[in-house]
Amino acid sequence: MRIRRRVLGEWIAAYLLLSPYLFVFLVFNVFAIGYVLYLSFTHFDLFSPPRWIGLGNYLYLVRDRLFLGKAVPNTLKYVAVVVPVQTVISLLLAFAMDQEIKFRRFFRTLFYVPSVTSSVVISLIFLWLFKRTGIINQILGLSIDWLTSPAFALPTIMIVNIWATTGTMMVIFLAGLQDIPVTYYEAAMIDGANRWQILRHITIPLLRPVIFFVVTMGVIGCFQVFDQIYVMTAGGPLDATTTIAYLIYKWAFQSTTPFMGRASAVAIVLAAMILAVTMIQRRLIERPTEV
Amino acid sequence: MKRFRLLLVALGLALAACAPAATPTPAVTREVVTKEVVKEVEKPKATVRLSGWAANPQETALLESLLYRCSLKNPDVVVKYEPITGDYWAKIKTLVASGEEPDIYYMDIFQFPFFVAKGVLVPLDDYMARSGVKREDFIKTLIDAFTGPDGKVYGIPKDFNTLALFYNKDLFAKAGIPEPNENWTWDDLQEAARRLSDPAKGVYGLGVPADAGRFPIFVFQNGGRIMTPDFKDTLLDSPEVIEAARFYTSFRAKRIGAIPADVGVDWQGTGFGQGKLAMVFEGGWLIPYLREQFPTLRWGATFPPKGPKGRGNLIFTVAYVISKNSKNPEAAWKAIACLTSEESQTVVLSTGFALPSRAKLAGHEYFKNHPESLVIFKGAEFGTPFMWGLRGDVVNDQMAKALERIYLEGQDVAASFRQAAEEVRKALKEQP
Repeated sequence: MRIRRRVLGEWIAAYLLLSPYLFVFLVFNVFAIGYVLYLSFTHFDLFSPPRWIGLGNYLYLVRDRLFLGKAVPNTLKYVAVVVPVQTVISLLLAFAMDQEIKFRRFFRTLFYVPSVTSSVVISLIFLWLFKRTGIINQILGLSIDWLTSPAFALPTIMIVNIWATTGTMMVIFLAGLQDIPVTYYEAAMIDGANRWQILRHITIPLLRPVIFFVVTMGVIGCFQVFDQIYVMTAGGPLDATTTIAYLIYKWAFQSTTPFMGRASAVAIVLAAMILAVTMIQRRLIERPTEV
Repeated sequence: MKRFRLLLVALGLALAACAPAATPTPAVTREVVTKEVVKEVEKPKATVRLSGWAANPQETALLESLLYRCSLKNPDVVVKYEPITGDYWAKIKTLVASGEEPDIYYMDIFQFPFFVAKGVLVPLDDYMARSGVKREDFIKTLIDAFTGPDGKVYGIPKDFNTLALFYNKDLFAKAGIPEPNENWTWDDLQEAARRLSDPAKGVYGLGVPADAGRFPIFVFQNGGRIMTPDFKDTLLDSPEVIEAARFYTSFRAKRIGAIPADVGVDWQGTGFGQGKLAMVFEGGWLIPYLREQFPTLRWGATFPPKGPKGRGNLIFTVAYVISKNSKNPEAAWKAIACLTSEESQTVVLSTGFALPSRAKLAGHEYFKNHPESLVIFKGAEFGTPFMWGLRGDVVNDQMAKALERIYLEGQDVAASFRQAAEEVRKALKEQP
């Protein structure tokens, strides 16, 4: 009896201490997600109360050219290119920054700077760099319409995003690398392992949880890409950069008649996609590490 | 009057006193003293909130100075100005949804149909009648634009813009051709563009962006429409529109016109300022921009040319509206009436930021010194409001895409516009 009371007291104390967070979590996460789920089954134009239409929005989505033909493929392409590229580049940068090289601190800071810069500011700067008469064309001696041709617009956004997020990923990898005990490396060297073998059999396996984290964050971020597109192309030209997240905004807020229900359905689909991909990743990457 | 009554009472009492009494009672007289006290009681002040987008510091300053003048005129109305930065329509729509919107807010004609259809605005006819504000005081096309399907006025136009043909005087002089005038036709425009263009040097005759805010003037000049009068169907695949689109896109095809990206700019106003586009169709907003960014540029402005079916122009206009949720519509109206009064509108005109909505100001002497502003002002006479009904965003989107497909993918003009019309019809059909 006495023990039970103590346990109860601990429970109360725990929840009391958690309550500020729980309150925010319940209101802004649980309630918001639940409400979006509800709205996805309604027609809601903001001004009239939501009207239940069952699966109407979802049925619309599976037939809509903009969603199926543009937003989904654009988003998948974006994820498929940006996630691997930014992971590999940031891993390589982290290896480099882990070595005893000159000006290491300077370079670390330099690579990290884009991550602390506002994405809107970055987008505005690249908007200038990628103009037809901009500096990138001038350096490369080309005259490509980077952001205004349907073929180049999405790759250009990819380049900007890779440049902007690689620094963050690098710092996470760097922390992971420095977390690996030196003893493993020493043991491997005594056993006569070469550099490649060390990387392949020691570093990468021990870095696996970090890789999982970086890839997951990358996937989620890429599925939700919005700000660069909002600033640089507004989904154009010819929907070449309309992604799922941008479509949510377009239908919810850019329509003269808002389609909140339909936008909510897209948001639910996006969440489901992210969840599915993350689960698959877990299976693939987060196997028990054995050294 | 009061004194007189008192006298009567006193007299009555006196008479009563004179009447024979059973018992002698002491005569009681009541003395009532009235005293006039002058006490200053302030009239209760009504506070109303006003929101608009904050376009630039100058415009904000202009509004604040107007509000100051109005506070002197209506001391009982306090207007709290709460500008909205960022995405104005997303903000105002969510505010209306939660019933938290300001009493007075800016309403663009493009967004107007949805707000009227949903009944979130106060009809202003009664207020207008009571304070002697007449429809005729305002430019007809503007006040008509803010009239709902029920014939009631839901917004008082605050200012407007139309498109003018801006031209670079130096480039015209260099090409040795006469500057545009109001009698120009499509042929004159094309001929001038041809002679002004020098693609090798990156100079093009006319700016022809894939922009739903520019292209429709050619449709109107060709006797066409974007939507049917009831906005239930689109006419984007009508012969008039397709013919206009053929003409519009032919400039770029012949390399005598360009879109902003061709000359490395985001907006053709910049290309015009840099001398890369000899002529552009833009509104009054270009004037302060040129003055600030390209002060040495020599430019002029005249009416857009006449098409096969005469004149056509777009009207961009914004009104003040009162929210149905306003607790103080009376005070809100007083504020609007003052902000759109002839006096306020004269101030608006003389700052040069916007054109006033009052018809009478056409004769104001400001226009004598600013002929280019008069051109834009007069554009309202033969203009069509920039508004395509409840799904206006889809119409705009599809119109721009139809042009983009022609420009970027070389699609046939008629096919591209037919595709646009089909998409618009799909959207109109699902209109809940």
